[in-house]
Amino acid sequence: MHLLVLALLLSSCAGQTDRGPIVVTFPGSSLGTEAQILNQQLARFNALHPTIRVVRRDTPDAADQRHQLYVQWLNAGASDPDILQLDAIWTPEFAAAGWILPLDQFQPDTGAFFPATIQANRWQDSLFALPWFVDVGMLYWRTDLIPAPPETLRELVRYARRAREQHRLRYGLVWQGARYEGLITNFVEYLGAYGGEILERGRVVVNSEAGRLALTEMRNEIYRDNIVPSAVLTWHEEESRFAFQNGEAAFMRNWPYAVGLMRDSSQSKVAGRFSVAAMPAGPGGRPTAALGGAQLAVNRRTESPAAAWAVIDYLTQPEQMRERARVVGQFPSRATLYEGDGLRAELGLPPATVRRVIEHAVPRPVTPVYNQISEILQIHLHRALTRQTTPAAALAAAQAEMQRLLNRVGLGTGAPTAHR
Amino acid sequence: MVLPALLTILLIALFPLVWTFWESLHLHDLRMPWLGRPFVGLTNYLDAARDPRFLGALGHTLFFAVTSVTLELVIGLWLALALNRAFRGRGLVRAAVLVPWAIPTVVSALLWRFMFEGQTGIVNSLLVQAGVLREPIVWFIQASTAWVPIILADVWKTTPFVALLLLAGLQNIDGSLYEAARIDGASAWRQFRYVTLPLLKPAILVALIFRTLDAFRVFDLVYALTGGGPGTSTEPIALYTFNALLQNLQFGYGSALSVIVFLITFGLAMVYVRFLGADLTGSRR
Repeated sequence: MHLLVLALLLSSCAGQTDRGPIVVTFPGSSLGTEAQILNQQLARFNALHPTIRVVRRDTPDAADQRHQLYVQWLNAGASDPDILQLDAIWTPEFAAAGWILPLDQFQPDTGAFFPATIQANRWQDSLFALPWFVDVGMLYWRTDLIPAPPETLRELVRYARRAREQHRLRYGLVWQGARYEGLITNFVEYLGAYGGEILERGRVVVNSEAGRLALTEMRNEIYRDNIVPSAVLTWHEEESRFAFQNGEAAFMRNWPYAVGLMRDSSQSKVAGRFSVAAMPAGPGGRPTAALGGAQLAVNRRTESPAAAWAVIDYLTQPEQMRERARVVGQFPSRATLYEGDGLRAELGLPPATVRRVIEHAVPRPVTPVYNQISEILQIHLHRALTRQTTPAAALAAAQAEMQRLLNRVGLGTGAPTAHR
Repeated sequence: MVLPALLTILLIALFPLVWTFWESLHLHDLRMPWLGRPFVGLTNYLDAARDPRFLGALGHTLFFAVTSVTLELVIGLWLALALNRAFRGRGLVRAAVLVPWAIPTVVSALLWRFMFEGQTGIVNSLLVQAGVLREPIVWFIQASTAWVPIILADVWKTTPFVALLLLAGLQNIDGSLYEAARIDGASAWRQFRYVTLPLLKPAILVALIFRTLDAFRVFDLVYALTGGGPGTSTEPIALYTFNALLQNLQFGYGSALSVIVFLITFGLAMVYVRFLGADLTGSRR
């Protein structure tokens, strides 16, 4: 495969050798270790490829801002940046808009990656981006308070309640319930636990028995079982992490970034006293982890697609992934890296455990209008969780609104409930 | 020589308005380029009229404007009367009163959020200690309680501005009028009712027009305090418009919402100006 890239490169730069290296731009963070590691890897790439020079473009770290900037650039037909760093949920949107190139022509070895991460980057049978690193929702649990992670949601509630009573903990479980994208990822995990889905091809199916059970369970954890504080309905990732790392909660649902921060005993009271597991299943479903992470794609307007692909190919090689895991704690998206004990030191967790969680990963609905769908669902879920309406009414309203949107933009397959 | 100035004004004030209006007649969603940018007439406006989230936002804005402006006027008037007396250190106090007004809205919004946030926030612990609350409450997960910090923050911030406007009005009132009233045996209340209030009316109207228009466009305060939540139950029109236009990049629909907001505030301003103008010409001498 490297040969192929090389051949493509040679053919694309044949006429350019006298004009110096091809310049390829890469959007990335300009802050902290994230920027450091990226700069290092790009510099190494430049040293290895004298015909290409990658330049980093500073882009905002906040996903919403980055998305907005991309959409404005791409609408204007900009060829810069040549490479795009996408959130897991943007790929179908950018693919459907015709802003990014299908990558199949470069023959990436998709078989080495976790299937869910590839599935999230497919749109209409083509692969449009390559997963760079994986984010998954995990259940953090206190190894000093609980003998083993819960297998079912019912066990989770029981363990959390018992831990709270026996150890005088402030909270049993903490998650993210503010009205934002994070709420959807939490909901996706409860929904999967009951075997439900949000979207099935062009049809919205969230208003199902599984959906109602999942949303009711989340609500009950707050108001009936008293294991989750109602304050989570204003919480994002960091508030949950603070609660868990201060030893106030027995369980936490969060992303992998928290592992590294909480292993640091200078600021964490739970260093060496926690582990991770997949979120447990309820009746009728399976353990589910919401899939996030970063993907790399090629701007369709780029003048040097082969050079852009060479950069992506380099950044997604095992060595680079392992380095990112070590320096910034990001989980590699190549399943093969988790074999044996190779990653233990980098991850700070048993690779087999992490791999099991990632194998439960499920992409959020793969649709070009994901953002709009998510916004509708966020509002209705938040209304139900803050008891402004019932779970059944909230899901019915959300489904009708989401289906109406899909039909209006020509992506729906016309559910019987949808009229305009 | 007037022409260049006029042209500049046209370009700066009118062009964006006309452009936004033109945009509002199209279906234009930056994130769905495959839909193109077809002309759809007034569809966006009809959609807005049937959009429960927009109608809700309109209601929230109205509620916020009426509640906060009423409180600001009452407290501002009281403050102005107090500051109008001669006392030692009056200059210092007058300057100090303006401090909340000088703090950027986003900063004060965050201050208020910290005070109300969480179960250990200062508001919760004070209210529990004082016995008003039996246990701490989460202010931001109920519409009724989420409004409290929003309105308090706005009143705290803009009352000084209202007070200052009214103080200027008070200082324009001729002191001999009060002397005459006192000689005629008028009580303090009657002096206030029949001398102060009528002569202060123009200043009150100016304060009212500024504050109502500002309140109708409230954005940063809610954005930083509740983000419009829980659900969308504290979302004002400006925030929803921002969301449609800049977050969701729905240029057509978002522009239609902007035009509606503009028409409402413009209509309000016209009503006030007519009212104010009549008062200024009619009641003088």
